[in-house]
Amino acid sequence: MAAAAASRTLLPVARRQLWGFTRRLPVRGAGTQPLYFGGDRLRSTQAAPQVVLNVPETRVTCLENGLRVASENSGLSTCTVGLWIDAGSRYENERNNGTAHFLEHMAFKGTKKRSQLDLELEIENMGAHLNAYTSREQTVYYAKAFSKDLPRAVEILADIIQNSTLGEAEIERERGVILREMQEVETNLQEVVFDYLHATAYQNTALGRTILGPTENIKSINRKDLVDYITTHYKGPRIVLAAAGGVCHDELLELAKFHFGDSLCAHTGEIPALPPCKFTGSEIRVRDDKMPLAHLAIAVEAVGWAHPDTICLMVANTLIGNWDRSFGGGMNLSSKLAQLACHGSLCHSFQSFNTSYTDTGLWGLYMVCEEATVADMLHVVQQEWIRLCTNVTESEVARAKNLLKTNMLLQLDGSTPICEDIGRQMLCYNRRIPIPELEARIDAVNAEMVRDVCTKYIYGKSPAIAALGPIERLPDFNQICGNMRWIRD
Amino acid sequence: MATAVWAAARLLRGSAARCARPRFGPPAHRRFSSGATYPNIPLSSPLPGVPKPVFATVDGQEKFETKVSTLDNGLRVASQNKFGQFCTVGILINSGSRYEAKYLSGIAHFLEKLAFSSTARFESKDEILLTLEKHGGICDCQTSRDTTMYAVSADSKGLDTVVGLLADVVLHPCLTDEEIEMTRMAVQFELEDLNMRPDPEPLLTEMIHEAAFRENTVGLHRFCPAENIAKIDREVLHSYLKNYYTPDRMVLAGVGVEHEHLVECARKYLLGAQPAWGATGSVDVDRSVAQYTGGIIKVERDMSNVSLGPTPIPELTHIMVGLESCSFLEDDFIPFAVLNMMMGGGGSFSAGGPGKGMFSRLYLNVLNRHHWMYNATSYHHSYEDTGLLCIHASADPRQVREMVEIITKEFILMGRTVDLVELERAKTQLMSMLMMNLESRPVIFEDVGRQVLATHSRKLPHELCTLIRNVKPEDIKRVASKMLHGKPAVAALGDLTDLPTYEHIQTALASRDGRLPRTYRLFR
Repeated sequence: MAAAAASRTLLPVARRQLWGFTRRLPVRGAGTQPLYFGGDRLRSTQAAPQVVLNVPETRVTCLENGLRVASENSGLSTCTVGLWIDAGSRYENERNNGTAHFLEHMAFKGTKKRSQLDLELEIENMGAHLNAYTSREQTVYYAKAFSKDLPRAVEILADIIQNSTLGEAEIERERGVILREMQEVETNLQEVVFDYLHATAYQNTALGRTILGPTENIKSINRKDLVDYITTHYKGPRIVLAAAGGVCHDELLELAKFHFGDSLCAHTGEIPALPPCKFTGSEIRVRDDKMPLAHLAIAVEAVGWAHPDTICLMVANTLIGNWDRSFGGGMNLSSKLAQLACHGSLCHSFQSFNTSYTDTGLWGLYMVCEEATVADMLHVVQQEWIRLCTNVTESEVARAKNLLKTNMLLQLDGSTPICEDIGRQMLCYNRRIPIPELEARIDAVNAEMVRDVCTKYIYGKSPAIAALGPIERLPDFNQICGNMRWIRD
Repeated sequence: MATAVWAAARLLRGSAARCARPRFGPPAHRRFSSGATYPNIPLSSPLPGVPKPVFATVDGQEKFETKVSTLDNGLRVASQNKFGQFCTVGILINSGSRYEAKYLSGIAHFLEKLAFSSTARFESKDEILLTLEKHGGICDCQTSRDTTMYAVSADSKGLDTVVGLLADVVLHPCLTDEEIEMTRMAVQFELEDLNMRPDPEPLLTEMIHEAAFRENTVGLHRFCPAENIAKIDREVLHSYLKNYYTPDRMVLAGVGVEHEHLVECARKYLLGAQPAWGATGSVDVDRSVAQYTGGIIKVERDMSNVSLGPTPIPELTHIMVGLESCSFLEDDFIPFAVLNMMMGGGGSFSAGGPGKGMFSRLYLNVLNRHHWMYNATSYHHSYEDTGLLCIHASADPRQVREMVEIITKEFILMGRTVDLVELERAKTQLMSMLMMNLESRPVIFEDVGRQVLATHSRKLPHELCTLIRNVKPEDIKRVASKMLHGKPAVAALGDLTDLPTYEHIQTALASRDGRLPRTYRLFR
């Protein structure tokens, strides 16, 4: 298997046949994969004043009310179109935590124009898909459809975010569904560990809370909370209408003007301030010796999306890499940590991550180990981190840079990943970064910079740790902190 | 025929989910890194001095044309144009667990894990990866019951290197003792993971194939049985490779490449190459046709604590009931695919909005009416000489009997009247699923490769759509009635105390209404 290429697969992983495929799309963004943002193209020569690309342009237009329309036309017979909204659980407080997610659930429950049944029938009969997800900083509604149905898809999206009925009966029914979803999330241990990690790293702040919200909130959120959230956050300047696949920008623009032009006004008064979220080095341990494996995440505070150091941290993240014991592969993988983990049978799998928010981020590693190897694995991980700060080599960095570019470029395959990339970049950077620029930024990284940047964010820093399962042998927090420094052994 | 179906669908995860909010105006950043040469410019502002990109434009629809050539040694070369800078190229081979009757079961599984290890020209897997990285490439090998695929996605400019590498990987692997030892471990781990996974679908699929095609072809184990792990060595692998890795059983397929260039590379690297295992020529190839037998495979297992974490998952019993459908080479394949779409289904709790098949029969008739059921999903597996349409269902062990009866009734209803609206919906959804999956380059690659491997040509997406559009209610009724004449295949996993007997399930499927025969028991 593609060992070094663990974070994505060349061929779809699940060997499911097309005809027999149950289309189950996750609603909630997990926030756990290593983050890549991207482009879809090739290396450029830095010297050349121009570079010819074999990809279409991303066209961006801003409406009078601040709504941005961005699209890339690749002439396919299908397309993805969606609304990327700059609002997520980070804008909630202790009392209404869960509202953004609740709202996402209510979106498909009927509008003034169409009942829930009408909406479902219409989507299903046109062979389209409608989906939504909420993360800590974004809410996304998107549709996939035949290109010929683009006007209808935009009309439906406009309808569900502007004219949702938010009926009392539907709200009551949805509480049960969300509680059930909560149970489902709790069976996904990776999600549980990441929620714990946020809870400890960003304790007592908005980023520390979960996206779903606590049970008592799910039981108490009412129509007014939902309406308030919409009127505060769903405003023109905070929304991007993004599309990819077979979409004509001018047509999309006309549709946007028609459906959103008059309605989504700009903010009257202040844009709600982004609540500050302070990072605290700390830990959460949930010991359960009955569980077969220990699940751990350890992270330091990294930077926000747009920070110049992001690229360097992403290279460092790629250097640590991902590994799963069923890859086999043995001693010769590009990640040194994978070699160590494999050689010493230290864990079942590990995955490095770099999760970014506007002004902060978490850079770290998630691992699944057997009870006996927890301490050894963590020790090796920390040693690797320190090596990043002190003597990572030029050739390793060169390799990681190459891999990072490959990861970003190959990921953009199909209209939905491209549309997601457009929507996300528009919200994060207010532009789509051209590939040559992205490549130039990666090319500029060298070993010295990796050492410098890693030293700045990792060396001697107090980490946030979340651990779940048979973790008796996990060293105590002070010892782990001690190992964030150079130790000769 | 329509192997497009093979193209596996890809779940698009909301990986974008953790994002920042945009700040208009100058972004608030903190200290910058000390690296003096590194641009201290936030990502929200353009980097000065970067060349100005000149973008491509789409001139109308992509030209759909698949070109196929055959080399003198019988190897087929197929290619398809595609917009974009990357290509996916690979070698597909008619090889997989269905050909293992005379060999140790598990060889194909081993070969999958051993793929892209050291070869005559590349000293180690790492060297292969390094070579690919220079062209921004990644590699992967996947094996199914009847096909093994070695594939690379890379910058189109590296085509020559990529084909050379693929030829080496397929024909000249070293298969060192050390690599085989590592593979034994990886296979062992995969078997463990398979049994630990909360989703029983792969295991049930394995079981139902075993039940439907007892001890032959596609009914053979896809995963290496634990007892064979130690027995498979280089000699065993070579004796298998000699018979099955021959040019006439291979297709070199490429998406996003020039056909002439691909053929040229194929001639250079794949014509007249002497493989590592010596002389070529299929001496002893298993050409047996799949024999559908029907039958039942039961695995009694305590599922009361399958949860890996602190939150318990309710105890479930899983059943899968299937009947023989048809091969993907037959005309009836398309109506079966539409029927499968019409049955649809999924989990009783599944995320995702409208578009997941909410009006398919397994939702409307089963999950929406019987809230105690956890899952009801239809699957269609199709091969070159046979096929299997099956329904997976799960519920509390105490309701197994009821659950089986609900499923058998659904099978009987397949042969009854088909509503025009539901048929049209299923057809549209099938077409959209096909077209949406074919947005992705690796999926197109798999589709081109599999179709050419099976039929020497490729049915294009729009031709398939025409065939789908032409399906009439009578077609569905006809294929379903024909299917219902066969014996069922049943797989059952979990607490099976209340599982009806195989004979009863068979009787139910042969009856008018799908009811299980009444059993009278004095003492319960």
